[in-house]
Amino acid sequence: MQIREYILRRLMILPLIVVGTSIIVFGLSRVGGNPIAIYLEHEMTPAEVAEIEERYGLNDPLPVQYLAWAGGVITGDMGWSAVSAQPVTEALIDRVGATLELAIFAAVVAITLGIGLGTFGGARRDRWPDHLTRIFSISGASMPIFWFAILLLILFWVNLGWVSIGRSDPIVFASIAHPTGLYTVDAILAGSLTALIDALRYMALPATTLGFGATAIIARMMRSSLVEELNEDYVDAARAKGLPERLVLRRHARRNALIPTVTVIGLGFGFLLQGTVVVEIIFRWPGLGRWMADAVLRGDQATIMGYVLFTSVLFLTVNLIVDVMYAYLDRRVVLGA
Amino acid sequence: MTAPAASPPTRSTAPLVISVKDLQVHFKVKTGVVHAVDGVSFDVRDGETLGLVGETGCGKTVTARSFLRLVKTPPGIYAGGRIDFWSGDARRSGAGPVDLLRVPDREMLAIRGDRIAMIFQDPAKALNPSMSIGDQVAEVLYQHRSDDLVDDQPEHVPRMLRRASRQLTTGPERLALRLPPWRKRASRLRRRGDELVAAALAETQIANPRKIMDRYPHELSGGMKQRVMIAQALACNPDLLIADEPTTALDVTVQARILELIADLQRRHGTSVLYISHDLSLVRQMCDRVAVMYAGRIVETGNTRTVFSDPLHPYTRGLMAAVPSASQKRGELLAIEGNVPELIDPPASCRFHTRCGFAVALCEQADPELLEIRHGHGVACLAYASAGKLGVPNAALPLVDGSTR
Amino acid sequence: MAVRVRRLADVAREVLRNPTTVAGLVIIVMLLAIAILAPVLTTPNVPDPYQMPRDWTMRDAPPGTPGHPLGTTSTGGDVFYGVLWGARTSLQLSVIVVSITVTVGVIVGSLAGFIGGRLDEILMRVVDVFLAIPELIFALAIAAVLGPSFNNIIFALSVVFWVKYARIIRGQIIHIKQNDYVDAARVTGDSKFSIYRKDVLPNSITPVMVQATMDMGGIVLTAATLSFIGLAEAGLAEWGVLVSDGQAGISAGKWWASTFPGMMVFLWALAFNLVGDGLRDVLDPRTERR
Repeated sequence: MQIREYILRRLMILPLIVVGTSIIVFGLSRVGGNPIAIYLEHEMTPAEVAEIEERYGLNDPLPVQYLAWAGGVITGDMGWSAVSAQPVTEALIDRVGATLELAIFAAVVAITLGIGLGTFGGARRDRWPDHLTRIFSISGASMPIFWFAILLLILFWVNLGWVSIGRSDPIVFASIAHPTGLYTVDAILAGSLTALIDALRYMALPATTLGFGATAIIARMMRSSLVEELNEDYVDAARAKGLPERLVLRRHARRNALIPTVTVIGLGFGFLLQGTVVVEIIFRWPGLGRWMADAVLRGDQATIMGYVLFTSVLFLTVNLIVDVMYAYLDRRVVLGA
Repeated sequence: MTAPAASPPTRSTAPLVISVKDLQVHFKVKTGVVHAVDGVSFDVRDGETLGLVGETGCGKTVTARSFLRLVKTPPGIYAGGRIDFWSGDARRSGAGPVDLLRVPDREMLAIRGDRIAMIFQDPAKALNPSMSIGDQVAEVLYQHRSDDLVDDQPEHVPRMLRRASRQLTTGPERLALRLPPWRKRASRLRRRGDELVAAALAETQIANPRKIMDRYPHELSGGMKQRVMIAQALACNPDLLIADEPTTALDVTVQARILELIADLQRRHGTSVLYISHDLSLVRQMCDRVAVMYAGRIVETGNTRTVFSDPLHPYTRGLMAAVPSASQKRGELLAIEGNVPELIDPPASCRFHTRCGFAVALCEQADPELLEIRHGHGVACLAYASAGKLGVPNAALPLVDGSTR
Repeated sequence: MAVRVRRLADVAREVLRNPTTVAGLVIIVMLLAIAILAPVLTTPNVPDPYQMPRDWTMRDAPPGTPGHPLGTTSTGGDVFYGVLWGARTSLQLSVIVVSITVTVGVIVGSLAGFIGGRLDEILMRVVDVFLAIPELIFALAIAAVLGPSFNNIIFALSVVFWVKYARIIRGQIIHIKQNDYVDAARVTGDSKFSIYRKDVLPNSITPVMVQATMDMGGIVLTAATLSFIGLAEAGLAEWGVLVSDGQAGISAGKWWASTFPGMMVFLWALAFNLVGDGLRDVLDPRTERR
């Protein structure tokens, strides 16, 4: 019962935060610069500029402008993306698959590896596996993604030639239909092993790069919560039952240590989302991140606004899901208190 | 160093279950080595209840935990002594004891939960919060009684099912057990397991065991949780039950019922109990014999009635004096002035002399041994040392004029 | 007072017992030395020493070339110069941003925690909104609308990074407010402000210090990422800019222009994270979770 209440409360706050975010996004475009900068050319006369400003309603009071924009966003009209020469909404839909696919793969890698490493280190507290885990996770949090990506490229692309950059071999990519926009899923749906291998081969390096930081965050959290759980009485009680150490760890301590670890998965997802910008630039991945980077460099405000709003809504949603999962997993928190 | 206490007159014929000899458990800390348990010896006989009493930090819990080798090493060190254990089978077959400090890990696992079980102080902490009650009780049964679960002839049971009976299956295997060839036998296994769990819970007078099995610890009251702990501990009908302050964390009203339950189950199963408490009145009520612990040592041991009616050691006397009468609230042992001394590299002196009203110069230089003063009644105090064997107090020391009696 | 001093000495001793923390400190000292000695170790470029000197005759020179120990970029920038002056840029950047964000965060957090009520509610919703946008993307958007310049990066980071401090301080105040001893202090007639000074600040300093140490690294990391994307002036002696300059050359085997400055970013962030981590372990092990 209380879980439902909790979810409801969170769902009620969510729109408020989204509205707040949209105000910030809108404010940025109006306070910081000129929303039509990308359309202005040097040879335009002031009269021409004024005409454009008039056409886009830039002379209206700011609240009116905001409402006009927000109304557009709600009806799916987020303006025109100059960098991709199509409506922002359309551009978002075209690119979201590539980015999500990358982020999901990286997340899967990060969660599995992070939990594995954290368990490995935490169960061997203060011995060398623990120290190695610690060094790994601090390195992960300190690693500039752009540098890590370049190092991997130098090794696997330039020197070993094992991978190529981009998202796919264009011929293979064109050979199958793309109903979902997720290349791997489409490949499986089309039953094409070639396409699936192609997808995974191109994905491997960017997903590894992207997942590194999140892996570190998750491993660190897993390690410290496992150490904490291992000090609990119920762990000794489990030992007193005659369970072998392996089972004590797996069935008791690890299960409970996972609960707080879930909370950083949301944080890690933010890490992944922001990482896509850099990873997509370096690996020439045709997703949202590179689109944003283009827009940033060319001052395409509509695209920037659309991207930031979309990303934060996605981030909020993932965090909401994570919190609900947490509330569900940790029966003590919701039902106990 | 210390002589083992003699057995009490009443049950001296009962066979031994546990014999602790000169147990020493130390902890390495930054500033030195803490002698948490420093030469403890006592016996527990078949079917009897031994109370181990003393203040917080006197080493009673560490003693109990070392029975199951649950003291974390490091920082703990099993520095010496032995804990001999005769399981029921060993006694029947006439085999010798095993030393719990030295049995191989595999054997230790077979003893834990099956032959020696333990009830923890705070049931709220000792139950896994994210596991259902049924699963937690089932765990101990599956671990030690898996042969009871597989109803076929054990040698014909496929390996996977066998693993399932120990709750060892993971991912693919668990899935396979839901599929036709295995499904029936697996669900029979589960049903049989549930029956055993329900029976174990019913033993502790839990009204609706089937319903409780699906609950999680936080949904139960403290008393209920402790019943579950007891069900878990007695599920395999152990030879020895270690109860570490089993009622301290509970409401006073619930305490009495839990104590009754333990006593009742003990009577019916003939389990030996090592009862650890700081609460003298509980010990008096529950135990056949008592051992009083102070600063890592046993200072007095004997028949409960004898020790309570005629305490010898000044510490024991202090404890008795601290117990209020029945009408008052239950006494915690706070009335003796001062605290248990630090046990880091202790000197060879009587541990109690800093708080003892009868201490003389000698007490700072000599370390008294536990000596049997009367039949089955031992004390570690210099006041009795010279005259010990005769059971006559040493008139030269002020303690013995019995002014507190 | 004496007690406080001794505690500091204890903390220092305990921090120094951890080898990884000591490693972090050693790296920090080295990086600071580089930042301070940059004008001595290289000839400052005129008129603006924070601009890379360009030698158009020596483009893509490999490491070890006389006069260019770490090689040059595709536009003839000296990587060695960039690496050294980049440390200076990073030091200034991180000190400026940390001072601004700590100040703003402490003020906002104190207001929210102490005044409470509606103001608290509003400020915390603002904090929620700020936290709803991933740090880097927020900073990227701010810097983007303001136009490419390193000063705008500084501004953008300041806007983004104060939030955590506000949360720490507010949480601490609320926690302390719930404690009985504040009531006791009130009864004895202490004013709100003196409670704040005596109880709240000393208790909050530790987590703020840990966070600030980590942010010293995180800010440089984020700034380098922004300038890598292209939000700093071209030719600035900054690590992210250099990595970006060198990126195009790696397919042709010219690895040096990206590798060295990228390593500096990593070392910088690593060192501060190691020290922050060590501090946290010693100062308040219980807040280890985030």
